[in-house]
Amino acid sequence: MTNTSVVGKSVLRPDAFEKVRGGKGFPVNVSLPGMLHAKLLRSPYPHARVVSIDASAAEALPGVKAVLLPKDVPQIKFCPVFFVPTLAPSMIQDMLVMSDTVRYAGQPVAAVAATSAEIAEQALEFIEVEYEELPTVFTTEAAMGEGAPQLHADAPNNIAKNPVFEFGDLEAGFADADHIFEGTYKTQRVHTCYMEPRVCVVDSDADGRLTVHSSMQHMFGLREKLAFVLDLPESMVKVVKPPYIGGGFGGKLDMGYIEPVAALLSLKTGRPVRIEQTRYEDFITTTRNPIEVYLKTGVKSDGTFTARYARSTLDCGAHATHGAEVIMVHGMFGILLPYRCANQTWEGRTVYTNNMIGGGYRGYGSPQGAFAVESQIDEICEALNLDPIEFRLKNAHQQGDPHPFNPEFTLSTYRFEDCLKTGAERIDFARRAAAGSTEGVRKRGIGLGCQALWVSGCMGFPDIYEHSGAIIKLNPDGTANLSNATVDMGSGQITTLCQIAAEELGLRADQVRMTYADSETVPFDAPSHASRVTYSAGTAVKAAAANAKQRVLEVAAVMLEEGVDNLEVRDGHVHVKGSERKLSIAEVATRAESPFVQMTAEGPKPTTIGEKGTILGVSSMAPPSNPSPASVEFVEVEVDTETGEVSILRVVFAHDIGKVINPSAAEGQVEGGFQQGMGYALMENIQFDQETGACLTSDFLDYKMPTAVEMNFPIESIFIESDEPTGPFGAKSLSEPCTTVPAPAIANAIYNAVGVRIRELPITPEKILAALGKL
Amino acid sequence: MKKTITLQINGKQHEIAVEPYETLLQILRNQAHLRGTKRGCDSGGCGCCTVHLDGRAVYSCMIFASSLQGRKVTTIEGLPQGKELDPLQAAFVEAGAVQCGYCTCGIIMTAKELLAGNEPLDETQIRHGIAGNLCRCTGYTKIVDAIKIADASR
Amino acid sequence: MSLTSATEYFTPNGNQELLELLDRYGAGALIVAGGSFVHGLDARGLLLGIEALIDIRNLGLKQLTSDDDGLTIGAMVTFTELVQSEEVRSSAVLGAVRDALEYPPLQIRNVATVGGNIAAACPYFDLPTAFLALDAEVQVQGSGGARNLALHEMLVGLFQNGLEAGEFVTGLFLPRAPVRTASAFIKLESNANDLAIVNVAVRVSLDSAGSCQDARVAIGGGVAETSVRSSAAESVLQGEKVSDDLLQRVGEAVQSDLQPMSDHRASAAYRSAMAKTLTQRALRRALGRL
Repeated sequence: MTNTSVVGKSVLRPDAFEKVRGGKGFPVNVSLPGMLHAKLLRSPYPHARVVSIDASAAEALPGVKAVLLPKDVPQIKFCPVFFVPTLAPSMIQDMLVMSDTVRYAGQPVAAVAATSAEIAEQALEFIEVEYEELPTVFTTEAAMGEGAPQLHADAPNNIAKNPVFEFGDLEAGFADADHIFEGTYKTQRVHTCYMEPRVCVVDSDADGRLTVHSSMQHMFGLREKLAFVLDLPESMVKVVKPPYIGGGFGGKLDMGYIEPVAALLSLKTGRPVRIEQTRYEDFITTTRNPIEVYLKTGVKSDGTFTARYARSTLDCGAHATHGAEVIMVHGMFGILLPYRCANQTWEGRTVYTNNMIGGGYRGYGSPQGAFAVESQIDEICEALNLDPIEFRLKNAHQQGDPHPFNPEFTLSTYRFEDCLKTGAERIDFARRAAAGSTEGVRKRGIGLGCQALWVSGCMGFPDIYEHSGAIIKLNPDGTANLSNATVDMGSGQITTLCQIAAEELGLRADQVRMTYADSETVPFDAPSHASRVTYSAGTAVKAAAANAKQRVLEVAAVMLEEGVDNLEVRDGHVHVKGSERKLSIAEVATRAESPFVQMTAEGPKPTTIGEKGTILGVSSMAPPSNPSPASVEFVEVEVDTETGEVSILRVVFAHDIGKVINPSAAEGQVEGGFQQGMGYALMENIQFDQETGACLTSDFLDYKMPTAVEMNFPIESIFIESDEPTGPFGAKSLSEPCTTVPAPAIANAIYNAVGVRIRELPITPEKILAALGKL
Repeated sequence: MKKTITLQINGKQHEIAVEPYETLLQILRNQAHLRGTKRGCDSGGCGCCTVHLDGRAVYSCMIFASSLQGRKVTTIEGLPQGKELDPLQAAFVEAGAVQCGYCTCGIIMTAKELLAGNEPLDETQIRHGIAGNLCRCTGYTKIVDAIKIADASR
Repeated sequence: MSLTSATEYFTPNGNQELLELLDRYGAGALIVAGGSFVHGLDARGLLLGIEALIDIRNLGLKQLTSDDDGLTIGAMVTFTELVQSEEVRSSAVLGAVRDALEYPPLQIRNVATVGGNIAAACPYFDLPTAFLALDAEVQVQGSGGARNLALHEMLVGLFQNGLEAGEFVTGLFLPRAPVRTASAFIKLESNANDLAIVNVAVRVSLDSAGSCQDARVAIGGGVAETSVRSSAAESVLQGEKVSDDLLQRVGEAVQSDLQPMSDHRASAAYRSAMAKTLTQRALRRALGRL
C-alpha cells in the first residue's frame, strides 16, 4: 500500500469549526430581501377527488401575496428521484406537483405565499376545499386484491413494478437440498429523521430564471427535476450548493413539493419565496419503504445453498417514487447476490397503497433484505447445528471473483473472511451459550449480521447517473480551492475530498478548501448517496488534483530548469528528486499568476508564456469500477425477560472499505449508522390510523429513536484495510452498511439470549414478551 | 397585539416587539438574527434549540418571548468568539463529534450546564444529561468523548 | 397550530388581576406556568380558540416550605428546584418524587412546574402518579376564595382537571407520613425522552413487626384516563409481611383495578402485564429504602 501523509489521518473537519459556533451555511439560514413565506394546504383524506377549491377569501387577507391551486400548476407527470433522468425507463413517472386527485393523507392541494409564515398558515384556513372521498387501501394485500380501488390508471391490481430474476434451475436446486427452510420477514416504515428540516428558498428574475437554495443531496438532480416540471430548459434553473446541510441520509434525495411550489409562487409574485417544513410535514414527506419478504431456502446438511426463492412485496404508498429502484437494489443486493447460489429466483413487487410515499434511506432496500436473509441464516445454523461464520464462508464470494452484479468488474479487494474472523475473535463469539439457556431474569446473547456485498457508487447500474467532476484552483499563497457539486450532509464529504486533493497535490489537508459551487459553475455530479462519495467523487477529485499537479510541475520545471519527470510534490513543495533543491507551491502558483514581465532591480525579468495562467485542474469522469465493501457486525444484548426490554451491551463492527481515508470520520459513520440500525431494530415505526390514514407518530415524543442513554455501550470499529486498485489511494466507499447490519445482528442476538425468533421489525419489548408466552 | 420586551442576549440589551405566541427561538433567529440556535421540531423533543435562560439550559422553542422581560439569555454565539474556541467547542472539533452539525450547538449548550457543577461527571451522568438532545449522525459516541475531554480539562 | 390565534399575553402581578382575566376570557384563556407542554398540546390539536395566554410567573408561587404538617410546593416551583430541595434529596418518604424527576431531560426539568404538570391532567405524566401515592392535596384559588382538593379530585379525566371556571392552582401539599415510610416510582418508556407507557408509584410503611401498613399503590400511563390508585393492591398489602407470594398477589391485584388502553405505544395486554411487574419492582425499591 502506498505511503500517504494526509490520507489515512483523522484530520479535523474544516466545517466543524464553523458548526460549533453556530453554522451559517445551513440552507435553513438563507434569507433574501423581500422574501415571502409559503405554506402548503394538505389533504386530510387519504384518497379523494378535489371537487372544488375556492381560495378567494385567503387571497383577500392582508399580507397574502399569491395562492397556488392545481389549475395553476403545469400538469406534467414526473418521477422525483434525483439520481436518474426524469424519464428513465426503469422508473415510474406518476407524480404531479399539484393534482386534484389525492392519494395519501397529507398530499398538498394548494399553497399560499404571504409576508410571514404565520399569515400564510392562517390563510390556509380560509381556503375552502370540497373533497369527494374515495375508497381506500392501506395494505399491499388489500391493494392487490379483488375489488381494490385502482390508484393509478396504468397499474392493474396496483402493482407498479414486478421484476423477476431467475438463475439456474430452482426446482432441481430444491430437489438437491437436504433441508428446506421457509419464513416471512417484515419490516416497517421508518423515517430518516434528518435534524435540519426540508427547506428551500426560490428566487426568480424578470426573465423567469430561477435561483434555488434547498436542503438537498443533489444539486443537478434538483435542477433537472425542477426544470422538467416547470417545462423550462435546465439552463434557466440555477441551484446553489449549500456549504453543508443538516443531515440527509437519503431523505433528501428527491424533489419534494416545496421547490416547485416555491418556484411557481416566486414567478407569480416576482419575489423570493421560502418554504420550511414543520416536523410533522417532514415525517410525512418520504420514508424507508416497508417490505415483506418470503424466503424459501434449500441447503445441504453442511450448509451449502442449493436453491433460494424469495418474494418481496414493497409498499410504495401513493406514488412509486424511489420504490421502483429500492425494489431492484433490495432484490439484487439484499437478497440474491450477497452469497453464492447457482439456483435462485426472486420476484419483487412494488405496490401502490394510500399510505405515504417512500424515499431514499441509507441502505436503500438492503436493510430490509439483510434482516430477512441474515435472520434465516441464523435459523438454519441453529436448526442444523452449524457455525454461523463457517456457513457464511461456505457460501461467500471470493476475492478475485467476477462481481456478481457487474461481471465486467471483479471483487478486486474483498476481505469478508478477515472481517468475520477478526470480529468474531474480538467479541469472543465462541463464548455464546445455547439460545435461551442462561439463568436469571436478564439474559444475554450475541448475534451476527453481515452485508456481504454492497456498492461504492452506482457504476454499472441501469439508468443511474454515475460520474463526478471537480475544479481545483491554486492560490498564490499555496493553498488550493476545490469546487465540486458534492453536497456534505454530515458524513464528512468535504473533509474526505479535501484530503484526497491535498494528498495528490502534496499539501496539508487544511491547505485545500472546499469552496462555492452552483449548477452553472461546476461539472455534473451524481448525488451524495449510494456510499459513493469517497470512491466516485474521490476519483474525480484526485484526477482534477493530478491535472493541477501536472501544471504545478510544468511551471516549476521552467523555474528550476529541470525536466518535469525529475520533480515531485510533497510537504507543500516541489522537490527535485534526489536533491535539496525545491520551491514552495506558493512560489510556483505566484509565479504562474504574476505579471508576464516583472520588473526587478536588475531590470525586466524574462519569462515564458508556458508558465503563465492560473493553475487549474479540471475533471469530469465516471469511476472505473464499483468495488464492494464487506461489512460484518457482532452485537451483544441483554434482554429483561420480565419487561422485554433490550439493552445493547457491546458492538464490534469489522469492515473492509479499502484504504480508510479518515479513520475518525469512518468511525463516526459506524457509530451513527448503528444508532439508525438500532432504532430500526428496536423502536422506530411510523404509524398511521388504519381508518383515516392520519399519521400517529409525527413528533419525537411519539416517534422513538435512540438517545444517548440507549446508546450507553462501546462500539468498536475494526477496519480491515485493503488496497483497492481502482479507488483513490486504495479506498472503497463507506456509510450504508453501517445502517444495514445492526438489525439482523440485534435480532440474532435476541434469539441467542432468549430463544425466541421475531421476524417482524421493530422488535419491541412487547413482541418479545408475547413470543415468550408471557402476554 | 405586539408588546415590546427588553432582555439581555449574550450580555447585550435587546428591545424587541413580540407577538403573544412568539417563542424565544423565533425572536433569536428572526429579530436578533442569531442563527446558531436551531429549530429541529415543533414541540420540545429534539434539543436543537437549547439555550441558557438565566443560566439554565432550556428548549427555546417552548419559552414564550413575552415571558422574557428583564431576563438573560445566552446562546452559542455567547461563547467566546474570535479565533479562540471555548474549550468545549474545541473538544467537539478535536474529538470528531461534529458531523452535520445541526444538533451540535444545542448539545454544547446543554453540556455547558452539566459542566458548571463542582463534581467530575461519569459517562452515565453525561448521557443522562444529554438525553434531551437528539443526534442522527454520530451515534453520540464522540459527543460523549468530547464532553469527557472538556470535563477533564476544567 | 392554533397558538397563532392568541392576541394577548398577560403577566398579572397579583391574584386579583389573574381572576379578572380568567373571568374576562373564560375558555379563551390559557394559563401558562412553565409552558413546557403547550406546544405539544397544540401540535395535537388540543388547544383551540385560545385568545389570551396568561403567564403566572409574577404571582409569587415559588414557596417550598416544610413544617410538621408536611411539604408545601408552590405551583411555579420547577422540577429542578424541587429535585434540588433538601427534603426531596434526603427523604425516603419522597423517594417516588426523586425517582420521577430522574426521567425528564434537563431542559424540561429547568422549565416544567409542579402546578403546570398537575393542571395538565395528562395520564402519561409521572409526577401525578408519584403524588397520588403520597396523599397529595392541590391548593386552588378562585373568585370564591381558596380551597384544597385531593389530587384524585383534580385528575378528573383525559386532559380534564377538577378546576372550576375562574380557578387556578397555587400549590401542592404533601402531608407527613408515619415513621418507617418510604416510596418509589418506576416508569416504563420506549426511550429516555418519552411519555410513560406505564408508571407506578408505591408508598409503604412498616410497623414494629415489619408488616406493611397504609400502603399506597398508584399507576399511570396508558392504564386509565388519569393516574389511579389500586385499592385492591393496597388491601392485599395491609398487615402483611413481604414475600414472593405477597408480591405475586399484589401484582395480580393491581391488574384487577385497571382498564388499560391499546394505542400506538403499547397494547392493553402489555400495559397490564407491566403494571404488575413495575408494581413489584417499585415495592422492592421502596422497601429497600427502609
